Amino acid sequence: MRRYWKFLIPAFVILGILVVLLVNLSSNLVYFHTPTELNTEVTPSTERLRLGGQVVAGSVEEDRESLILTVTDGRESLLVQHDGVVPQLFAEGQGVIVEGVWDGTTFHSDTMLIRHDEQYRTEDNVIYDSDEHQLEES
Amino acid sequence: MTARGRLAWLDITAVIAVVGALVFAMVSPRVESQGDSARMLFIHVPTIWLAYLAFAVTFVASIAFLVTRKLKWDLVAGSSAEIGVVFTTVAIIGGMIWGKATWNVYWTWDARLTLTAVMLFVYIGYLALRRAIPDPVARARRSSVLGILGLVQLIPVHFSVTWWRTLHQTNTFRPRDIQMDGPILAALLVSVAAFTLVYAALLRRRYQLAEMELEAHRAAAAAEGPVAGDAVSAPTIGST
Repeated sequence: MRRYWKFLIPAFVILGILVVLLVNLSSNLVYFHTPTELNTEVTPSTERLRLGGQVVAGSVEEDRESLILTVTDGRESLLVQHDGVVPQLFAEGQGVIVEGVWDGTTFHSDTMLIRHDEQYRTEDNVIYDSDEHQLEES
Repeated sequence: MTARGRLAWLDITAVIAVVGALVFAMVSPRVESQGDSARMLFIHVPTIWLAYLAFAVTFVASIAFLVTRKLKWDLVAGSSAEIGVVFTTVAIIGGMIWGKATWNVYWTWDARLTLTAVMLFVYIGYLALRRAIPDPVARARRSSVLGILGLVQLIPVHFSVTWWRTLHQTNTFRPRDIQMDGPILAALLVSVAAFTLVYAALLRRRYQLAEMELEAHRAAAAAEGPVAGDAVSAPTIGST
């Protein structure tokens, strides 16, 4: 049994190092920035970033080739000019992540992802009947 | 009927349960704001649950081997990890199909996706390690260490969506606060139960196969034994 400690102690040390690395990495593991972070912490540059938030209701308009929208995190919001494919599930109030460049006033994006929330709700909170496709506002 | 064929009812029940669960999944209410692609949930959640379960069984069986030194525990550990790797792969592929429909990308390097991929490769490494050691006892000893340590990574995999900001949504199942409506939850629980039966059936079959592999190995070793022994005969130095 004693020989196992020769194995296990280095293994646990390596594991400990991994944990420390992961904790330190956690600041880099941010997949996207919030509008508040871009407004307060991030200096505008030509670096590509990801911005995530909710599409503000009533903010979406089409301007020739691009889509203009406002994205919010509930505290601050940011104007986004999106030139690229608009995903199927894009809607007002939907969570989105856009990839592009932040110039200080507008976020110019060319890639848009939908960030779905963790809620699984039925459409009208009643049992779905496949013969009736109409949606009821609840 | 042999002892090994007698429990075929488990296989049959598992297949019927999964077919039933998938039918239930197709008639369950649509998920609001996602449409029918959300039905991938009924594959994605049960398969990743099975991956967690399978790797947890590998962990427990690896400890059991180190404590009892009985090879059967090592066979359980290896069999379970193999099933876990298969179900992790299914969960990732299912998630990618859902991701394309919902996120608009198949894959991205966020914390949850990356760590899940790392978990898959660590357990593929575990299986490769087992293949590399022909002697059953040495294999059991060495792979049990990895089987125990491998489980630790499940914690960051599961909590990655809480600890870091990811594209992947956060956990729907929080303590006392389940973000899912009753009918969808019911279909999901049925699916999880059905897939768990599939795990039990697969583990049983894979364990039987592992036992047979061990028997075959021992038979081969025994067949070689006398020949190797004959070559080295004890020297005789007169009689005193």
